[in-house]
Amino acid sequence: MSTDPSSDLRLDQAGASDEQLQRVHAILLREKPEPTEGLSPLPLMLLGLMSALILFSAIYLGRYSGGFDPMVYDERILPGMLEGGAAPAVQDPKMLGKRVFANCIACHQPTGLGLPGAYPPLAGSEWAIGPDERIIRILLDGLSGPITVKNTQFNNSMPAFGTQLRDEQLANVLTYVRSEWGNSAPAVTADRVKQIRAAVTGRTGPWSPEELLKIP
Amino acid sequence: MASVSSLAASLNPATPADAVARAELREIDASAKWPVIVFLLSGLVWLLVGSGFALVSSIKLHTPEFLGDYEWLTFGRARTAHLNSVVYGWSMNVAFAVAFWLMARLSRAQLRHAGVLIMAACFWNLGVTIGIIGILAGDSTSIEWLEIPPYATPLLFVAYALIGVWAVITFRFRKSEHIYVSQWYLLAALFWFPWLYSIAQIMLIFEPARGTVQALVNWWFAHNVLGLWFTPIGLAAAYYFIPKVLGKPIHSYYLSVLGFWSLAIFYNWAGVHHLIGGPVPAWVLSAGIAASLMMVIPVVVTAINHHLTMVGSFSALRYSPTLRFVVFGAVNYTLVSLTGSAMAIRSFNEITHFTHFTVAHAHQGMYAFFTMVMFGAVYYILPRILLKEWPSAALIRTHFWAAAIGVTLYWLDLSVGGWIQGSEMNNANIAFIDVVQHTIPWLFVRSVAGIVMTIGHLAFAVNIGWMLCARQPAGATAPTLFRPPPAMPVGSVP
Repeated sequence: MSTDPSSDLRLDQAGASDEQLQRVHAILLREKPEPTEGLSPLPLMLLGLMSALILFSAIYLGRYSGGFDPMVYDERILPGMLEGGAAPAVQDPKMLGKRVFANCIACHQPTGLGLPGAYPPLAGSEWAIGPDERIIRILLDGLSGPITVKNTQFNNSMPAFGTQLRDEQLANVLTYVRSEWGNSAPAVTADRVKQIRAAVTGRTGPWSPEELLKIP
Repeated sequence: MASVSSLAASLNPATPADAVARAELREIDASAKWPVIVFLLSGLVWLLVGSGFALVSSIKLHTPEFLGDYEWLTFGRARTAHLNSVVYGWSMNVAFAVAFWLMARLSRAQLRHAGVLIMAACFWNLGVTIGIIGILAGDSTSIEWLEIPPYATPLLFVAYALIGVWAVITFRFRKSEHIYVSQWYLLAALFWFPWLYSIAQIMLIFEPARGTVQALVNWWFAHNVLGLWFTPIGLAAAYYFIPKVLGKPIHSYYLSVLGFWSLAIFYNWAGVHHLIGGPVPAWVLSAGIAASLMMVIPVVVTAINHHLTMVGSFSALRYSPTLRFVVFGAVNYTLVSLTGSAMAIRSFNEITHFTHFTVAHAHQGMYAFFTMVMFGAVYYILPRILLKEWPSAALIRTHFWAAAIGVTLYWLDLSVGGWIQGSEMNNANIAFIDVVQHTIPWLFVRSVAGIVMTIGHLAFAVNIGWMLCARQPAGATAPTLFRPPPAMPVGSVP
């Protein structure tokens, strides 16, 4: 582990032995000199390549940087595209409602047909496509007791969703239910849900069908 | 005393000055002997360990029940252990060995107090060992390229501090007036790595940043550690060994300058292209993509410089092991970098992202470029510091062909398989499970390629062990080459 080459025994011996001497000499001589740099000029085509790359990158950076706005995540948006002219993309409430409907499919099924004898259908149901006052109340506080849907009697209970879903989510899922599977009742707005939620403030426990039928 | 330079001068009064200069190099080699050997042997052990973990994780991808009963060899741990042992174990150790030897030689300065470096090597390898054991025990930080648990990283910091400072001190004591291009790369890399590693550790592990900034820092680090640490070390070696073995100057100083500074300016922006499609402001991604495209400049410039130096000397590839490994690496540097720029383009990235194409790309960079250049460097350095010749040309040949064929097969296989995988994933009519099943044949070929590469590593290890144990053969001074060079005038052979 010595760092002093003169303490290396092999090298000391080299002075004494012809064989070793030749050996060190040969190893030294076979090595080429340390590398140097030539001075060939830059090829002209390199200038062309560099100019093309700088031009392309600059245009790319200008075109796909959303005006360097930290809130723009989609490179296809140009600065000014959102203000003024075109309205921001509006999402279809029915599609949003379809996602919320994941809460409902266990009983009412993706087909909206329910389970005969256990859970009532939504497709063609007079409750689903009837006055929104009733169906909004069912979603907010739940439903319990015997109910007749499409001339069939069901007796089960539906949980309340008023505390776990927001007004927009309730409105969207109702809009979905009221326009899917052949239903064609008017959409429900978040304002309408908010209004009814305010009207039933303080209520605890599910509705019964009799109570709801009294509401016009 | 019999210092070799005076010895050389005393052999013959007419000894040319460059022979004396070369004799000085011998003294420098002797001063670097033990640090280089310790770093290199540690690296070699990690290379074999890393190959083992690589095979385990590769086989698990097509045969999941393989070694399925061992918790510490589950895919997530074995694959992570593979990455960390080949990156922090093999690549870092061999990079230190080669960087020190090059820095000392090019600065015409002996390595002082080599004991400090051996201590640093112990700290470094202890840190990596604790880190790998930690990963196998399930303590990984789950941050790609920084999985080593926080209780091991301080050791790595201490070790690196010693290593970095020592290399800079060696440069500080330089006797050479001219600073050769390899030294620019080495010196810059020695400053870039601690900056990258400490910022990434602080912002991700010790004082984590919030939200997507973490992802940005992660890929800033993981991409830059390739481009601003391993790439400069690999290029420094290529810039040294190609002209050294051929005995002619590197093509153009001006190209070297342009290549170095354009790498320094553009590379550190490029890492964010890993987050294309992620919740990152559009301009950050576009800036990363533009910088990745601009990386074509340093790559083309370096390619011209290396490959035009080679023009007219391709026959030397037939007999020089060093040159063959280094040129294989340099050609792959060109290929891998141009592929990398293409992969940063959004429409290309939509296909290759999250597929095996990226894995092929990573191995082409770290293995076909960096590791092959390092192999070539080791074949040059070891005979000079041990004053012994390589015992077996057949083992070198086995090593070269196994590594070259293995990694080329690996790269072609996963590039094609990954492209198909990406195209299928973009096709909504193909179920995800079908896409996964279609990758199995490609993954199987990957394991075969991995076994071929491992055979090469074993040949390399046997040759080194044999060389270390062999007694110095009396009188034998001819270098070990693949075949005798055509005409062999004295002083013309690597």
